[in-house]
Amino acid sequence: MKVEIEKKDQHFSFVAQPGEKFLYAGLRAGVPLPYECATGTCGTCRARLKGGEINTGWKDAPGKSTLKADRQEFLLCQAYADDEKEMNSGRCTLGVPSAIKAFRDDDITPAYFQGEIQNWSRLTGDVAQFDVLVDSTVEFHAGQFFVLDTPGIDGYRAYSMVNYAPETNRLTFIVKNKPGGAFSEWAFHSARLQSTTSDRIALFGPLGRATFHPDEGQDLFMVAGGSGIAGLLSILRHAADSGHLEKNKAELYFGVRTADDVFFVSELNAIKDQFPNNVELNIVFSDQQQLSDPAPELGGMVPKFGFVHEQALANIEPGATNTMVYLAGPPPMVDALIRPLIIEAKVPVSKIRYDKFG
Amino acid sequence: MSLESSAAIASPSPRNELMSWKVACAADQVAEDSMKRFDVDGVSLMIANVGDGFRAYPPVCPHMEEYLENSGICAGGVLTCDRHLWQWDMKTGEPQGPAEKPLLMYETKEEDGNVLVFIEHELEYEFDDDDD
Repeated sequence: MKVEIEKKDQHFSFVAQPGEKFLYAGLRAGVPLPYECATGTCGTCRARLKGGEINTGWKDAPGKSTLKADRQEFLLCQAYADDEKEMNSGRCTLGVPSAIKAFRDDDITPAYFQGEIQNWSRLTGDVAQFDVLVDSTVEFHAGQFFVLDTPGIDGYRAYSMVNYAPETNRLTFIVKNKPGGAFSEWAFHSARLQSTTSDRIALFGPLGRATFHPDEGQDLFMVAGGSGIAGLLSILRHAADSGHLEKNKAELYFGVRTADDVFFVSELNAIKDQFPNNVELNIVFSDQQQLSDPAPELGGMVPKFGFVHEQALANIEPGATNTMVYLAGPPPMVDALIRPLIIEAKVPVSKIRYDKFG
Repeated sequence: MSLESSAAIASPSPRNELMSWKVACAADQVAEDSMKRFDVDGVSLMIANVGDGFRAYPPVCPHMEEYLENSGICAGGVLTCDRHLWQWDMKTGEPQGPAEKPLLMYETKEEDGNVLVFIEHELEYEFDDDDD
C-alpha cells in the first residue's frame, strides 16, 4: 500500500508491505516519522486517517489511551494494511501532529535484518544476556535499540544494545524475566539458557534518539533503573573507546533492588579503571539499607541506599550547562526525574535524553 | 410586542457582550508561576499566574493532547509538558525549544479579586497543520 502524509510544506510517501507496520515502513524509507517506543506503549506515533482503509492493529495497545477513535486516530507502530482489499485500494492518506524531521544529520536509516541468537548467559536470577549474530553488518549509535521479532511470539519487543561498535554484526542485549513477558518467558522458561542451539530471529532497527555523540562534547550524567543499564553501558563504552572520557566526566547512578540483582560490575569497573578521575559509578540499592556480609565485590562502585532517582537528584549539580542527562528505566523512574531535573536542577530540556520502557 | 424590545434584539446592548466574561476563579487560588485547571460553564481551561497577571489556555498540550494538569511543569515563566518536553513562554504562549505549536489563549482580566476569562467558544488545537 502506498502511504501518503500531507503537511503544509511537506509531502511524504512510502510503500508498506502487507502486514508491515506503517512506522517501520516509513522509517526504512527514510521518512523520519515521530516515535519513541515503536512498540505500542507510549502513543508518540499517533496519526489520523484521512483517506483509505487500514487495519489499526493491537486493540489494547497502552499507547492508544489518548487516541480519539471517532476521529480515525491510530498508532503508526501498530497499523498496517493486511488484506487484498486494503492492498488493492492502493493508497491511504494520513495526518500526524508533529513535524517530520531528522534528529541529526548522521541519523541511521533503520532496516530489517535476520540473525541468530547465541551465547545465552545468566547475569542474575532474573536477567540474562544474549547476542544476535546478524547476517550482515549493522550500524547504530550508542544508546539505540532494536525491536526483535522472535518466532512464535506475536509482535516486536524493544531491546537496547549493551555493546558498541560503529559497524558490527554482533549485537548484545539483556532481557529481564518478567511474569507475563512473552519474550522473557520464552527465554527463561525453556532450555535456552543451557542449550547450545541457536534460534533464528528477525529484527528491525536501529531506533531511538537517547543517543550519545562524542562531537557534542558533553559531560554525562546517567541514571539507570535495572535493565535500563543496557543502553547506558553502550554509551559509556563508546565514550571510553572514543577517548571522550579523557576530557569529559561521566557520573552513573545504577538502581537495583538488592545485592543479588547487581550485574555488569566488571564491565563498568573496566571503564572506571581506564579513566579513574573522570568516571564515577554509584550503585543504589532500593530494597536493602546496608550491604550484608559477604558484600558483593563492587570494585570502584560506590554503594548507596534508597531510590535511584532520589540519590541522583541529591547529587546533580544544579545549572550545569555542559552536561547531557541520560535516563533509562521504567516509566515511573523517568517520570519521577524529569520534573525535578527541570525545576530544581535547572537542566535545559535540550540536555535531557530518556528511554522509557515497561 | 413593544418597539423597545425589538430594538434591543436588533442591536445588542454592551451588557450582552459582557455576558461572555466569566469568572474562572479567585486570583489567590493560583500561586505565582503555577497553573490550575478550572471548568467555566462546561469549558475546561488552565489558569496560569504569570506574576503580573493571568493567562488562560486550553487544558491540553497542543502536541499529543496530554492533560497539562498532569503533564505541565511551570518554572521561571516557562511551561514544559513532561511527555515530550515541549515548552512555551507562559506570558505569550510562544513555543520554545522543541515545541512546534504555540499555546492558544483566552483573553483574561482581573476584577474584584477574581480572574475573568472571555469565552466566545471553546478553543481547540488543530490535529496537524494540514487541517486549515
